[in-house]
Parts: sequence; structure tokens; C-alpha cells
Amino acid sequence: MSQAEVAILYAPGTNCHEETAAAIGLAGGTSELVLLRDLLDGRTRLGDFRAAVIPGGFAYGDHLGAGRIFGTMLAACLRDQLTEFLEARKPLLGVCNGFQVLADSGILSARTPGKRSMALLENQSGHFEDRKIRLVVSDEPSMWTDGLAGQVLEMPVGHGEGRPLFCETSPAGSGRATLRYCDAHGRPTERYPENPNGAPGGVAGIADETGMILGLMPHPERAALPAHYSQDGLKLFKNLVKWLRGR
Amino acid sequence: MAAMAIHSVYALFKDDPEARNWLAFFRRHGCSRLNNLVIERVFWLEGDISLEKLTSLLVNPLYQVHAESSQLDPASGPIVEIAYRPAVTDPETPSILAGARALGETGLEFARLSKRYQFVGLEAQEARKVAARFLYNKIVERVREPGECFVTLRPTGDPDPVTTVSLRGLRDEDLASLSKERSWYAPLSQMKAIQAHEMAIRRPHTDAEIEIIAQTWSDHCYHTTWKSLGLLKQLAGATERIRHPLVVSVFKDNAGGMEFYEDWVVTIKGETHNFPSSIAPFGGVATKHGGVIRDTLGFGKGAYPIGGTTIMGTMDPRLSESQVPAGALHPQLIVTESIRATSYYTNPMGIPMMHPVYRIHPGYAKCLALGHSMGLIPKRYALKDAPRPGDVALLIGGETGRDGIHGATASSTGMTGETLEKESAAVQIGHPITERRFTTAIPVLRDRECIRTITDLGAGGISCAAGEMGAATGVALELDAVPLKDRSLTAWEILLSESQERMLICVPPEKLDESKEILGRYEVNCAVIGHFTSSHRLEATWRGAKVVNMEMDFLWESCPIDPVAAAKPSRPLKPAQIPQPKTQTEWSGAINRLLSHYHCTDQSPAGSRFDTTVQGRTTIGPYGGRNHRMPTNIAVSAPLHGKSYGVITTVALNPFYGEIDPATMARLMIIEAITKAVVAGADYREMVLCDNFYTPRVQPDVAWNLKAMVAEISDFSEKIGVPFISGKDSSSGTFESRGRRIDVPPTLAVAALGRVPDVKKIVTKEFKRTGNRLALVGFQDATALGGTVYADCHGQRGERLFDKYDAGSIHRLWETLLALHKQHRYVSGSAVAEGGVFLRVFEAAFGSGLGAKVQLPPEADARYDGFLFGEFTGSVLLEIPADSKLDGDVPIAMLGEVTPDAQIVLEAGGSTLWRDSLSNLSTIWSQNFREVME
Repeated sequence: MSQAEVAILYAPGTNCHEETAAAIGLAGGTSELVLLRDLLDGRTRLGDFRAAVIPGGFAYGDHLGAGRIFGTMLAACLRDQLTEFLEARKPLLGVCNGFQVLADSGILSARTPGKRSMALLENQSGHFEDRKIRLVVSDEPSMWTDGLAGQVLEMPVGHGEGRPLFCETSPAGSGRATLRYCDAHGRPTERYPENPNGAPGGVAGIADETGMILGLMPHPERAALPAHYSQDGLKLFKNLVKWLRGR
Repeated sequence: MAAMAIHSVYALFKDDPEARNWLAFFRRHGCSRLNNLVIERVFWLEGDISLEKLTSLLVNPLYQVHAESSQLDPASGPIVEIAYRPAVTDPETPSILAGARALGETGLEFARLSKRYQFVGLEAQEARKVAARFLYNKIVERVREPGECFVTLRPTGDPDPVTTVSLRGLRDEDLASLSKERSWYAPLSQMKAIQAHEMAIRRPHTDAEIEIIAQTWSDHCYHTTWKSLGLLKQLAGATERIRHPLVVSVFKDNAGGMEFYEDWVVTIKGETHNFPSSIAPFGGVATKHGGVIRDTLGFGKGAYPIGGTTIMGTMDPRLSESQVPAGALHPQLIVTESIRATSYYTNPMGIPMMHPVYRIHPGYAKCLALGHSMGLIPKRYALKDAPRPGDVALLIGGETGRDGIHGATASSTGMTGETLEKESAAVQIGHPITERRFTTAIPVLRDRECIRTITDLGAGGISCAAGEMGAATGVALELDAVPLKDRSLTAWEILLSESQERMLICVPPEKLDESKEILGRYEVNCAVIGHFTSSHRLEATWRGAKVVNMEMDFLWESCPIDPVAAAKPSRPLKPAQIPQPKTQTEWSGAINRLLSHYHCTDQSPAGSRFDTTVQGRTTIGPYGGRNHRMPTNIAVSAPLHGKSYGVITTVALNPFYGEIDPATMARLMIIEAITKAVVAGADYREMVLCDNFYTPRVQPDVAWNLKAMVAEISDFSEKIGVPFISGKDSSSGTFESRGRRIDVPPTLAVAALGRVPDVKKIVTKEFKRTGNRLALVGFQDATALGGTVYADCHGQRGERLFDKYDAGSIHRLWETLLALHKQHRYVSGSAVAEGGVFLRVFEAAFGSGLGAKVQLPPEADARYDGFLFGEFTGSVLLEIPADSKLDGDVPIAMLGEVTPDAQIVLEAGGSTLWRDSLSNLSTIWSQNFREVME
């Protein structure tokens, strides 16, 4: 059993794992960087951790689609561990490419590994968007955004595929839209560039029906440390630690 | 093995932004008849498989439709299908095979991809022409003909045998023509040295040996021009004499290193990739980044890259087609393709882009493509150990292919209108995921003591990396062990291939198993390709024969260095004659032209495509202020997560100044780079410099300029005590077309790298508070308009640069600034550079949403426009609290105040010269570059 509470899952091409560890550390949590390869080869088990984060990057070069190979490995090779993790209602966060992994593996929005219920499409602009944006937190219940409803959070985005599309026939519908891109007045927006990818309704982050799984395109770990221009992202990690300590 | 069944899956996106982007792109580049573009992706799968099982891996039905045959109607328009050549493996193949295994499909033997582009509205021939120009690289890819069937998907092809090349008895003219014909580009003196060596060893060289010699002795690798002029020694000598206490590693390694805090070292390296970027900008610029990042990974025992730059100099992208010299690519294409390439490469690498800079000059027909990489490494690993006999040569990363052959020799020569065709094989193909894999793994190998020394494979490939690493001992290579992505490579091609994303590590033999285990966990391919010896020879075997067997001494000590003559150039310069604006309308005209000048305009439409915050280290990226769009001109990061220590970087280059006076330009670039950091609060005593020269192919006047520049920066850096610790020179900035020679202007890019104890104490550019007062601190000279953007707006260059600072006076200014910063006496600040004081006032206002009332001081009486638009490199604009006063041993001119209304007003002698709203000005400022990109 790992001493650390949070597994930060990373694969070749993941490139935000170290700052994610730093943000969790500042929030008071403990984490361990866990190679997907070590999970696949049985050197580590997901069940050894109380929560997991899939950080951003370009896992496996985004070959065949953003998050596709990572998502396939997760849903196909690690299905038992994943199911156990989901059934235990442990917190799971996917940031940017991690969100794409959650979507492509079927974990979001319907919690059905191997069966997709949503996708993240190429930005409306057709290219990568590096921006500092605002998010407004909705009142949809989620462990990750607990107590933040109505707040405007500032953090960066950096992605090429972040426009959510939901399966019309999925029982989970469009999940729980917990975070939306907003304008300077805190109003959700579809206007570019405040909404960097053309997300309908400004949806930037989705939680599942239990509120324990959150996927979001913006990067809370890049707005967390004192040296960053904003520390709003730290609030999500503090909620995680609060939950971990509350148990 | 018998060929197995080949299946195919054809997929179309329901909505395809990529196709939309290409459609717009092609229309911009002359395909006005193109009505629509559809892209169909095809997966080719070989083996006994169930397609149904693999569908979820290959397509997502939420946004794609797929079928087992093409869904395109051939009647709608010509279709061009592009695939990798049969000898080459697709980069996605391993991912598909791994994904299939994950899904329990073990019958899949091999996979390939192709893309079918349907050009609605074009003739078949035109469609193929467009595809050939923009959509594929014929070295590794090809067009699949309609009806063509695969026999097998697995790579096929056979190499040519090794041959010998005898130079015995060849006359000078034969030697010269052979050198050109074989793309060695070796001067006659070198050809004769090779000829003499053949006599000495009493056998003809193998083709592999001559290729190695030509590559090793190329200007790109051996810096023959610089060595001949004694420039490397001169600059290194100055650095040595400074004896800077923070300097850890100078010039010799792949980058330079400066001590950071808590036993860490920060590194910097800049590298140009001008030649490939000029003939194939996407591939050239992508691999520019890949290469310079590997220089960081190859520093010491492996540094981790924490930031980068991209600096592009081209002709004006707004030129008409007919104004572009025949055989050169249109500068708009170079710029837009370079932006796409930077985004393609640096974002997946997860390295923040700190300085995206785009400049123009009519001499950049062969473009400037410069990139820097900054790195971080524990101090105990900052110096390499020497290889020992018996150590293992471990090649890691990508497979070796046909890309980039002759890159080193071809890029050492000038460029002609024909180069585009002849040397396109010299352009490499970049796959950032491969480099990203070992970027994560190298620090792990390093910290487990698996690395004796490490270097990257760049120009000259295995030949150069192994040759350099084993120069003092000897190295024996087994070329059959090199993993190939192209089965048809022969020995010399394996040795010289510049395939990207490869590193060579010298591993102690007892650490080999552990190294392999670590690399396996990080999914990095590796191969033992030889070992280090005590033979002092470079040896290589291939297919049972010894194909290389040469003394290291000959390779490294026998290169003839031709004398280079220098003669003072005549510079036909004319004084700038610019009418002074008098009316509001004339002032508006002048200001609008200045703000929309390429060097001053908002370049964030490019910069916002590059990740600036990845790694969670960025405190100040390229854009800041209230709206995150104001150019900051500095980059600050806090590389140790959770600690306040900062790395600050700045860059300076100015092709206009170089045209007037290269030596003064060189000094001004040092002053500009350092002052940008000092005004932000960084101490110049804790700073180092990196130089990148780009000069024309050498002839006497070029040599003169080079000597003058290097003498100036050597002398000046020694006087101010800020050393150059890393640099690179490219002496091939010449484009020849139809008898016309176009030379790049003497170019020197200076990057400064400094450290600050607390990133929170950095002072930024944007105005902070209404009522605060503005001051110009430092010298000014309103009549020195030579080389300014303002003069360029009038189509003039001028003949006199602003040149008021020597080492003593700039030193006083920096000391004054540091004292003021320490006492919190100013709340915003920026260094004056291109666009003059006015551009800084505008940017500081734009970044804050506040306005400014600029009251021109008596010093401006010489000419108001010259005071506002003159480029007083070294002087700074400061914002000070209303009740505070500035003092110091430097000139200070009070300039007015920050105002609450979002407008800028210019006043002189109590009357208003001009006013305009920030919203108008920012609209003008935002247009030019955006238009270039559209």
C-alpha cells in the first residue's frame, strides 16, 4: 500500500504531472507519480490510492485522437481496478488531456468504461489556444467544487481539443456542468476568446452523477503556487484534501 | 513471412476544423478555385483480425463516420492519397499495435495510415501540385496511386552496398566538382587533405569515411570560418578573464550553465536552423525546437528543459509574389508554417514558450530561424565525465531514417534558387512524442548514475555524436544494431542520418541493465550500438565488414583551415530625412504607422498558439497586464516548485541596426537584453549571455563585420563583467538566385539569463495607478534615428545609431536602477527599444487600461518625434508614485503622468500635439500581424 493518498497517473507524453504534485502538496495532500506502464505491468495498483488525478499533456502523442491510447489502456487493460475505484466512489480528476482520457475511456460523463458518452472536439479556431481565462462555478454538486458555487476562478488553458460533445442517447446526458467559461462579469460565455474553444454553453468542466469525478480543460495546477499569477486552482485541490481528511 | 490479409477502415469527421483550416490556407496561397476540401483518414491493418474489435480504437462514432471502403465520391473532385513510403514506418504504428493488444486483438501484425484529400473544384494535376507543395515530404512520404494495392504493410526495401571512393590522381577541378556533386560542399583544401590521407593509408576511403570527414569538417560542425578568424578564442578568452563566480560551464558543452540556488544550475543554448526552415519551414522549424531542446538534455549529464524561445526573421510577409526572389519561399508561408511548427513541437514537449519574436528584413531571403532552450540540472550533474574504454554507447529514442541526410554540409553553404529541389532530403521530420518520452526518462537515468556522458544527435547524426564523444578514446560502432525506420539505408546513411529525437548515452557497463529497465518503464526505445575503446580510432562495422576505420587525430586535428581575408566594407548609408509631424493628423499618421509596424505590432496571435504556462513554473510569460495581451519583453519563471527563486530571460536582436553599424549593433544588443532584465529588478551581476550570430557566406567585407562584432562584444562583456557562456554561429546567410546575391544583414541575437531571489519582487511594465508620474531615465538623443522602426516606416535606414552608452555609463544606470528597485521607488518599468519611448507608453497603458498624459520635456526640443520614437537602447521608462522623487547619477527627464481615462495625450510647451483613445490605438496595433496570419 502506498503511503501517498493521491495517484498522479502519467504516460509517455503526459507533461503536467510534476506541477500537479506540487499543487496537491501545497494543498496539504500527499501524492505519488504513477506510471501507467507500472499499472499495466502490475508493479502498482490503483486500489493502493484514495484518489487519482490524470494530468495534462499529449499522452502517446495523441495518436488516433486526444486521450485515445491512454483511455483504451485504462478501460481495456485496467478495467477491474478502474471499476473497483469507481465503485468505491474515490475522487478522480482529469485535467486537459486527462479530461480527454476520461471522456475517451467512457468514464465521463456516464461512468461506463469502454463505452463513450462524450468527446472533446477540436477547438472552433482549429488550433491550440494558450489563454488565461475565467471560469464561473455552477451550483451543480461536486466534491471538487464544494463551497465554490458562484465564484469566478482565474486559470490558464492550453489545448487544441476542448469543445465538449455529448452523446444524445447517453443516460448521463451532458453530465453536470460544474465549470463554465465566463466574461469579466461572471456570465457564462460562448464568445471567443473568453471561451477559447467554442464550448456550447461555455462548458469547461464536467462532473459525473456522483460528483466525485471531475474533468476540466483549464489547468488548476498552473494557478496554484504563490509564484503563479493566480492561486484560484488551489481551491480544487484543497477540496480534495478536505475530503480525504474528512474520512 | 507470407503476406496476410489487409483490411481497411475509412473515417470521415462529421465536422472537420483541420480540413477547414487547410481550405482557407490553400485559398490564401493561390487556389482560388478550390471550393471545398474533404479529408478522409484510412487505417490499413494487416493480420487475422476482427475489425469490429478495433473500431473503438481507430474511430469515435460520436464525431466520425466510418466504413470499410472510401466514402468519398470520386466525381466530386480529384483525390490525392498520401502515405508513408513502403520502407518507412508510420509514427502511429506502435500506438495502434499497442492499442490493439490492449483490446485483446493479438492477430494484428502491422498497421499503416494514409490520408485522402479531396480537392473540390481543382483539376487533378493542380491538386497533386498543391499536395506536393504543402501536404507531404517526399523523402518519407508519397502519393498512393488510385487502385494501388498493398502486398504487405511491413517495411520493405534493400540498402545499397558500401563502395569505395578514390580521389587518387584527381585534378583540382575534378575534386571541386565531385565535392559539389556528392553534396559534401568541402572546399578544395579539404578535398586535397582527404586525397593526401588516402595516399597515407594506402587504400581508398569508403563512402562512409569520406561522408564522415566532410560532415565533421563542415562549417556547421567545425566552425571553420570562425576558427580561421580566431573568433571563438577571442570570445571565450573574454569570458575566461571575467572569472564569473556563478558560471559553471562555458562554451564546451551542448549549452552553457550558471549556478542557480540550492545547488541547482540553469542552462541556456540558442541554435539556428536557417537552411531547413528556408526550404521546408514546417519541418525546419519543428526540428529547430527539437534540436535545441536536445542540447539542454545533452548538457552535463542531462538537464531538464524549462523554457524556450522562437525567433524568426524573414522578408516582409506582405510582399507580392513577384517581389519574392525566384526559388525562395514566400515569407508569409515561412512565418505561418513556422507558427504551426512551433505549436506542433513545443506544446507536446511540455515546455513553456517564453519569447516568440518575429522580425523582418529584406535581406532575410534565407530566413533566420533561431530557438533557445533553457534548462535546469542539479549542480552535481552539470559536468560530464569522460567515456572510459569498455563503456557502452547506448542510442535512445527514435529510429534512424532517411531524413536529414547532408543537413550539416548543405546548411554550411549558401542557398540558391535550386537548393529547394536538390537538398530537400536535408530537412528532418520531427515527432515530439518520441523526444518527450526520453525528456521524462533522462533525469531518472541521470539521478540513478547511469549516465557517464550524454549528447544529442543533431547535425551529422551518429557519426558526429559518437565521433565527438569518443574523440579522446576511440569508439567501435556496430551499425547493424541501429534500429531503422527505413530498411533501405546503407552504412554511410545510417552514420549521417539526422533523424530527429535520438540521444547517445555513454553508460558504464555495470549500469546497462538498470538503464534498459528504466528506459523500458518509460517506453523509450534503446539499442547498444557499440562501445568505447582505447584505440583512438573511429571504427564501424556493417553486415560483417569494417566500413569505417580512421584515426581520431585525422578527423579532429587535420582539417585545413583556409585563411579568410577581411576588408572594410563600404556602407552606402544616407542620413534619415524624416519630416516632423506638425498637425494632429500628421501625428496620427506617424503613430499609426509605428504601432502597426511588424516589429511593434501585437504578435500575440502567434504567441497564443504556444503553451506558456505548462510545467507550472511561469510567473511572467510573453504576455501580461490586465488583459494578458501586453508584451512583457521579459520572462520569469520559478523553476523550483514552491520556492520563490526566479530565472529571468530576455532576448534582443535588431537586423536594422546591423545594416548601419554591426559593432555598435552588437553592443546595443547586449545593453538591450540586460537592461530589460535590470529594470524588472534583476541584478546584472547575476546574469550571463548567449550569442547567436547569423552572417552571410564569408567574403572579405563579411569577415570584417564578424571580426568587428566579436571584438566589440568580447571587449564590452569583459568591461561590464557579464560573460557569454554559450553561443553558435551560422556563416551561411546568403541566397543566390538568377545571378543576384542577397545577404542577410549582420545579425546577432543576444539572450540574457539571470537569477532573482524572489519572483514576487519583479516590477512589470503595465501602469499601476492614476496620478503616478512618468520618467525617462538615462540618455536620449532625439536626432539619432538610424535603424529605428520610425525610419523604417519611412522606407529609410539612416546612418547613425543611438550610441550614448559605454561600459561606464551603462554600469551607472544599472546601479541606479537596482538601488531604486531595492527602495521600491518605481512601480512599473520597461526598457526603451524598438518603437521608442512611445511604444512603451502605449503598451504600459494598454496593459493597465489606464491612460497617459505625456508632457515632452525640454530635452525633446531637438525634435519631438525623435524623442518619442528614437530608440534609446539602455534607457528606461519608469512610473513613480506621485509624491516620490527620483535621483541618481544619471539623466532623468520627467514625462508626465498616468491618467484615469483610457487615452494617450502628447503635450509640448503647454499645448496638445495629439491625442487618441486606447481603443483606437489598440485596434491599429492589433491588425498587422493578425492579417499576416489570416
